[in-house]
Amino acid sequence: MKELTPEETSLLELVDRLLNKGVVLAGKATISVAGIDLIYLGLNVVLAAVETLEKAQERRAS
Amino acid sequence: MTLLAHAIAAAPPASFPRDGLRGRPLEWSESAATGLGLWSTEWASDFTLERPDALEHHRLVERICDAQPCLPVRFGTAFPSADAARASLESRADALRAALARVAGKSEIALTLLWRRVPAAPVSEPAGGPGRQYMEARRADYAAREAKRARAESIAGRLVAQLATERPLVWHEVCMSESVAVSLAVLVPTELALERKAELSRVAQEFDDVVPVVNGPWPPYTFARNE
Repeated sequence: MKELTPEETSLLELVDRLLNKGVVLAGKATISVAGIDLIYLGLNVVLAAVETLEKAQERRAS
Repeated sequence: MTLLAHAIAAAPPASFPRDGLRGRPLEWSESAATGLGLWSTEWASDFTLERPDALEHHRLVERICDAQPCLPVRFGTAFPSADAARASLESRADALRAALARVAGKSEIALTLLWRRVPAAPVSEPAGGPGRQYMEARRADYAAREAKRARAESIAGRLVAQLATERPLVWHEVCMSESVAVSLAVLVPTELALERKAELSRVAQEFDDVVPVVNGPWPPYTFARNE
């Protein structure tokens, strides 16, 4: 299990709120971030993405 | 042209800077029938949103919330025209007005409790054949997960009780990932936000198996939900 730093945690909590909380309006278009439909992007996915990124960085460093 | 939505409010302040994301124009689309309007950035539909845009959206919503009561809109919501935005507001005006009244003058404080890493217990040599070993390992994993969930629920319950605030103004979820024990949000009067943040931080220090991370005050993202 990757240990999150307080800085990572703060960013993830904020991103989770931006993407998963707030008013849901029936927008006629949902703009995607890097090809991912925002509606399906949850904190767990973000966490997994960060962990994958970290592992990739570790692999590159070794 | 596309309108990238930021926040819903009643009439806009007399003077408000009209700079949206990436320096593009910030638009106010008002629905006279509802007394509500939408702050949005004029966006080109072929622009891809990047991480800095999300953070700039957050800063913009903060600026709007500082100027007037507002409901943050989920990042990434877009409309092809101001008429489409107004129609969307009108279709749920009652719920939006109720949500706006709920968050007016309030800010959100966020508390995340991360599991503190503990050294792994020594593993004894498993008995039996591979089938039994597999089942024993699964049983141990399940028991460990359930114990963590029960502990997280217990911590969340104690926190909510100690917050001494109305239950509808507190939201929490437990065990969202392997690292996170509790994610909690509380809606507090904006003028008391820093004081409440310090209190929350102090209360969260009482649990020795988790590391608290307190954030905010933020716009009332969690409590603006209208679903």
